[in-house]
Amino acid sequence: MEEDPFDFESDVLLATSPIVAPNQRRKVIGLDDLLVDHYKEKNRVTERESKLAKTKKTYNSDDEEDGRVAKLSKYVDECHEKMTQLSDEDDVSIWGLQVFGNQKSPPSFVFSDLPSCSLFHSFMGLEVNSLIELSTESGEMFFEGLLTNGWLLKLVCKCGEVDKPIATWTFHLMLYSSKEVLRSAAVNFWCAILLLKNEDEPRFLKIDWLPSYSELKGALETYGFLLHSPLEDSSDAEMVLGDSECMGSPQNIVAWIKFVAACSQARNTHFIFSTSEAEELVVVIICLLLDRQLLGLSVDLNECMLSLINFFTDDEWSSSCAKVAKSVALRVPLDINSLRAVDCIPAVCGHIKHLRSAIAFQILLGYFDKVEDDEEVIRQLTLINLKDKSCDLFKIYIYLVLTENWFLYNPAIKDKPLLNEMWGLYLRNCSCQINITDTRSYASKVRSKASYLLQGTTDKS
Amino acid sequence: MGTKRRRGGDGGMEENTMAILDTSCFSKSTQHIADDRLSFLEAVRSGFLVPENASAPTNKMYKAIFQILKVENSLDLIMSSYQLLLELDKRFPQVYLSVAENSESSSPSPSSPQRNELVVVEEAWFPFSFGPDVSSCEKQDLDKVGGSLDATAFLLLIEDLAKVADEANSKTLDSKPLRNMLLFQYLVNVLEGDFVPRNLAFTESLDWIYLRESLLNMILVSRKIAYKGLIQNCLSAICELSQFSMDCSHDMRSPETGSAEVTGKRHTAFAIALPEIVKCTCVAVQKLLLMIIELDSSKKTADMDGRTTRVDGVRTPAIEMILDELTYDKNILFPFFQALDKPRLKLDMIVQYLLKYIPKTSVRTRRSNGSTNDSTFGGVLKCFSNGNSTKSIVKKISTEVAELLLAQAFQAYISLPSQHSTEYKEDIAGNSLPEICNNMISAFTCLKKTDEHTGILPFGKEALFTAAIMLSRSS
Repeated sequence: MEEDPFDFESDVLLATSPIVAPNQRRKVIGLDDLLVDHYKEKNRVTERESKLAKTKKTYNSDDEEDGRVAKLSKYVDECHEKMTQLSDEDDVSIWGLQVFGNQKSPPSFVFSDLPSCSLFHSFMGLEVNSLIELSTESGEMFFEGLLTNGWLLKLVCKCGEVDKPIATWTFHLMLYSSKEVLRSAAVNFWCAILLLKNEDEPRFLKIDWLPSYSELKGALETYGFLLHSPLEDSSDAEMVLGDSECMGSPQNIVAWIKFVAACSQARNTHFIFSTSEAEELVVVIICLLLDRQLLGLSVDLNECMLSLINFFTDDEWSSSCAKVAKSVALRVPLDINSLRAVDCIPAVCGHIKHLRSAIAFQILLGYFDKVEDDEEVIRQLTLINLKDKSCDLFKIYIYLVLTENWFLYNPAIKDKPLLNEMWGLYLRNCSCQINITDTRSYASKVRSKASYLLQGTTDKS
Repeated sequence: MGTKRRRGGDGGMEENTMAILDTSCFSKSTQHIADDRLSFLEAVRSGFLVPENASAPTNKMYKAIFQILKVENSLDLIMSSYQLLLELDKRFPQVYLSVAENSESSSPSPSSPQRNELVVVEEAWFPFSFGPDVSSCEKQDLDKVGGSLDATAFLLLIEDLAKVADEANSKTLDSKPLRNMLLFQYLVNVLEGDFVPRNLAFTESLDWIYLRESLLNMILVSRKIAYKGLIQNCLSAICELSQFSMDCSHDMRSPETGSAEVTGKRHTAFAIALPEIVKCTCVAVQKLLLMIIELDSSKKTADMDGRTTRVDGVRTPAIEMILDELTYDKNILFPFFQALDKPRLKLDMIVQYLLKYIPKTSVRTRRSNGSTNDSTFGGVLKCFSNGNSTKSIVKKISTEVAELLLAQAFQAYISLPSQHSTEYKEDIAGNSLPEICNNMISAFTCLKKTDEHTGILPFGKEALFTAAIMLSRSS
């Protein structure tokens, strides 16, 4: 209290100060209380000042007064800043889920089959080995060098065959090695052998061992991917898992993503997963896009999703798309993350536009009970009374964006005049019924978004 | 050269979309601003990329997106603006080739039925600006030029790339290195999109003006920067970045960084993205160098054809400069060749490098023998086949360097696309794969004999192993 800026008659102030009142102390003091108290004090101070000024005009130097005023205004500014911060925090929610929980220890793997690998085998008999002095003991180190420096790929291309020991060893390094050099070399190796352009070598590259979907899924489980449990909000999850040492996103996920992309591009030559498994993988990729920790990988994630979606033929996609959309809608919590689940889909071609529209629609359905029909959803939207104080404008905003995506990316909607008409009505409601002075959170966001969209729809017609 | 005016889009669209950004001035909160910027990017995407027949966004919008990439700190915004810019450039190229429509009607030469015509979009926005360096002029054009970079800023950006490794290793990893790398990748992408069609048009018509007006050429001739400095910066960036990728075993779960810091989460997001982005940046720097080398060779063609004027100036070809740098600074020799993933270029450069140290007499003897293959890899390898010449080479460059260069050259040789390697194989004797493999083995045997004390380096052993296996499979 010694430092109190208003400490000119501290005893009196202390005695009368409401802050120290015991009954108030027990409850958590909110910023509002502080501000009220502060203003009370401020009033008192100004009163006292004016009194002082009247009685002791001669003492009151300008410097002192200026200093006090400056401190006071600084204090007020600080309070104001805190208030705005506080109100902003609950105003804008930030998307982000924790998709990885506790990591398990990776399966053990010993590169013991080395002597059986044909490269090793055939080399040992050669005369040149007097220069290299390769032995079974130094073999693994040596092969790591061959892998990281790119020799191994040249060798298997020349031989036209990837031995099982080599395939399993590199696969393991790719998904579980903690060394960046090894995992990135291994993933490059696998992507190259899967997608080998056969122009150079007319011979077909034979891969003796291919991983299956269960291996890919197993790796995700080892990374701690919360595959079966519903996704948690990152802020909550952090508290639960916060002190665990091995939580967080695994570095090997980059290799996993690239490998999945390569597998789906290689559908015509190598069978690694089926269409239903590919559907699950699309859902996994969308979940990964919901984790802020993986934001920096969005280029790779987007590429992977595009490869996965191009994996499906047109016929397969029409049913798979609906399944994926339903599965995503079930996993994504009904909050700001549902917008991210739609936004993160790079709508660049037909298939993926279709997916974006379908996911938006399925999530929208999830917000309403017992509604299955597109017209019914829109009707429900138009019935919402936005002027009602209890109306949650944040939800309205989500509906708005979801419906926008559902309409925008589905060309078939253009041929449904009734739906379009009701959508227009909803937009007009949103832009007109919310007053510009409305202080509810998201009020201005809903209004400006709706008028922006309204502009777009009227421009077209 | 055809030009095309970009359909200016409708003003309403621009006004509407830009208005999303304007609302930010009502609120002070950074989160609000970030949110508005994200909505703006999303609106550009849905307005211009989603419709099948949309026109390109206006320059004002491009500028706003680029500004976001240039200044933002949030990873979300950096990534979205970067991806959006790339997608826009792919969808709406500023320069492209189109098959000339009048080729059938006029048909001057029936032998070349289709001639590509270069189309340049007029008044398109570029992230580069080449205004005269008079400051008053810049002020006037500030609105027009906007946040575009000039040659100096581009040079500084490349200089910063070399520092990425240091910055990344410090604990306070922030968004700056990541942003710079993505910015650089985008700029190289723009340069490439501009240079590749122009260079194609040049090879067809030999009209130098196409390349004179290319962005890359304009950067290189800019008086604001030293051309040599640019090449040096590129080299050190390649070495630093590739070294970083090799060394980095950034395990985020290491005890010191795993602790619950406030910035821990953000930090993890950066750290996970870093290795991948570093790799792509290294590739982008190489792409830039390769374009400069291609521009050099096109310029040489134009020079010989008398198409250039004094205005175009004289420049030392980039390859020579790089070779000089490698000669003076042995430290970057290995990292550079290890990072370089263009086999043809790598092979040529190593052969040129080694030729400097091969005794002239041996070259002459070979010439007098009537073979002209001394300047090929096979020819160079043969110089290592006898003790005397090997000894004299090793005296000038160490055994280590000789081993590494031969191994790198061998790797480049086996990575050549088949049409090149057959060209090598068929045209010149002593360059077939079995011969090269055989000569590799004898060269290393010779090197080992010359210098008994030092064993063969791991990289050399790997090369030998590969050569031996390939030899056994070829027979």
